[in-house]
Amino acid sequence: MHFGGLLTGAGEHMRLRTYEWATQVTAPMQPLNMCINTQTPLVQFTAAHAPPPGRRTSAPLDLAALTEGVDYRYSPGGVTRMVLPLVRHMLQDRFLDEAHWVALNPNAPATVRMSGVTLHSVTLGPKRMASYGMVKEAIWGRVHGIDETDHHDDLFWTEAFSEYAYYNRITSELIRKLDKKHDFDVFYIHDFQQIPIGHMLTTLKPKIFRWHIPFDRSTIPPRWHALLATYLNSYDAIVVSSPRYADSLKSFGYTGRIEHIYPYVDPKDYSDPPAADVASVSERFGVRRGDIVALVVARMDPVKAHDRAIEALAELASSFPRLKLVLVGNGSFSSSRSGVGLSKSDRWRAHLEEMVTRSHLEDRVVFTGHLSQHDLDCFYERCSFTILPSVREGFGLVVVESWLHHRPAIITSRAGIADLVREGKNGLVFDPDEPGALAGQMRRLLGDHPTELSKTLIRGGSLAAEKCSIEAAVRSERALLTEVMEA
Amino acid sequence: MVDLYATLWTFALAGLTLLLTWLLAMLASWLIGRFMQQSSPQVTSGARRLGAVMVWLIGSILAIQELGVSPLILIVVIALVGFAALIAVREPLGNYGAKYFTDVYTPFKVGDTIRVQGYAGKVIAINAITTVLLADNEQLISVPNSVFITDIVVNTTPQAWKEVTIPISIGPSVDLPAFESELLKHLSKLRLRLDRQFPPLLSTKSRTSQSTDLTLTVMLRRPEERDAVTVEVNKRVAEVLEHTRTNRR
Repeated sequence: MHFGGLLTGAGEHMRLRTYEWATQVTAPMQPLNMCINTQTPLVQFTAAHAPPPGRRTSAPLDLAALTEGVDYRYSPGGVTRMVLPLVRHMLQDRFLDEAHWVALNPNAPATVRMSGVTLHSVTLGPKRMASYGMVKEAIWGRVHGIDETDHHDDLFWTEAFSEYAYYNRITSELIRKLDKKHDFDVFYIHDFQQIPIGHMLTTLKPKIFRWHIPFDRSTIPPRWHALLATYLNSYDAIVVSSPRYADSLKSFGYTGRIEHIYPYVDPKDYSDPPAADVASVSERFGVRRGDIVALVVARMDPVKAHDRAIEALAELASSFPRLKLVLVGNGSFSSSRSGVGLSKSDRWRAHLEEMVTRSHLEDRVVFTGHLSQHDLDCFYERCSFTILPSVREGFGLVVVESWLHHRPAIITSRAGIADLVREGKNGLVFDPDEPGALAGQMRRLLGDHPTELSKTLIRGGSLAAEKCSIEAAVRSERALLTEVMEA
Repeated sequence: MVDLYATLWTFALAGLTLLLTWLLAMLASWLIGRFMQQSSPQVTSGARRLGAVMVWLIGSILAIQELGVSPLILIVVIALVGFAALIAVREPLGNYGAKYFTDVYTPFKVGDTIRVQGYAGKVIAINAITTVLLADNEQLISVPNSVFITDIVVNTTPQAWKEVTIPISIGPSVDLPAFESELLKHLSKLRLRLDRQFPPLLSTKSRTSQSTDLTLTVMLRRPEERDAVTVEVNKRVAEVLEHTRTNRR
């Protein structure tokens, strides 16, 4: 099998952390005190540390006194995974003096301390949470172009929307209270769920918003335009993940500063696991020696379109009898019972499992659920290539992870990261709505002579990954913060 | 001994009068609030304050009378000081009063473009005495607020006719997130009368430890329904305020 050779070759010749980016950024006159706001919390606690309802103490909890994996875990997913390394770097460089991070976290103590960062939890009762979740899903569905019906056109007039406003108002009130105490220099608000915060937070201090999902004005119902434009225009600057989104945002009527910064990861967070660990983790999930692994790392959500990968596998199954599809991931914070509590991930997984059974692929598809970073690294190491099949994707950081692990990636044309991909040079692109397109690209990597193409893609991927490095992002984010502060 | 009792009794009566005054002032404020439910919350709040002050004025005079002091001197002093003050600050007071009414009844706000007395510009500030316009040639024009009551004002902002802004002032007894959420629920019931493209928007204007000044903006669907919608929205704001206060208690 050619793939065995390719894996070894990739591992030996192009190891992971070979980036040497110069970090020539100047520190501001005075280190900043920044308030960050995301919906998804940085850490999620086990039941043992969840305060009983109505009994949240104000005494801060020290995260260092707890054990990761036992008492708490870091939230998976792009936003928190991006923001933490950024904050860490800025604290290290003394660009930041301190950071306060406000997030929705009903099952957490009110305040949690970790080195340099204080986490503040917003809580919401189950009834309000359900309505809030409904509204944010509706916005998410329309913006991603999944829900093309008009039954959410009047979303902003519904009773559920008043609960969405309630959530954002209690968050902005908490931020205001913290600002009175800590006198922040800047507010950095992340993700679409939090968009009203800028308008609600009456302050003359700079407010920056990062829009993480796609921004295409054609998918936004006209009845949403006025309110969204009001919310967007309350920010001094908006950061988007793709130049396409920047153009769309401008045509939508946003008059402030628009910055395009690629999402980023910190290569230090990824390790090369020992071969024995790779073998053991693979064995645990039924992946045998000699199997060819196609890896999909994505939460269980219809937008991630795992079904396209299963269809492609069905098409190739008889030609490549050792080919296996490994699906890593479960629900997001929104789907978790300790989070927003939406059940779409369970429904989507049931749908996929039924599809697998119907196609008689039970022994060819592996659902791993959520994996620890170590186990995920093992699968990146074990796989022959990765697939990002999403029908819509704000960016697609998993492709960068694949590049960092020196694995070729097959990428949907509907992802923001497709802007970085040069067909056949650093990735293979396909249209998720074109039947057979994904299978065709997979075949190119599974064919008789895949080595040269794979090597080219790996080499190109490593170069492209530099654009999504934490160092590059820290430079851009610092420049943005400095300019916004000085403007 | 008898004198001491008499003095104590007098003071007790004066105290009782003040206590009754306090209760009556509360009652007057509440009754005015009930009667003026359909008015702008800002006018209602001003009327409630005025009612309470009047009751306190009468109550204080009665309490002074109980103490055996002639209230005549006090009344004369208040009248003279009031008269002198009125003469001295007649102009600014006129503008200040006009500002109070323009806040509620004049159809423009900061950010709008207006024309008044041959001047035109973008409204960049409305203070207690004047409204400041920024002309196209970047000149600042200061227009006394009283002009807006006596002269014709043209608001040339596109779609200005649609916009109804309602100033709301809430005290610390009102939970802002709950108030906003409840208000949005109420206003969603009026959506047939409002422009669907512009959902109601509550904005925070200023805050102190004692109060939060907000502006509610709704957009009309039909110009002829302006008064009816304004009255209905005001009524709902008052109801939600009352409801939120009661729930907080």
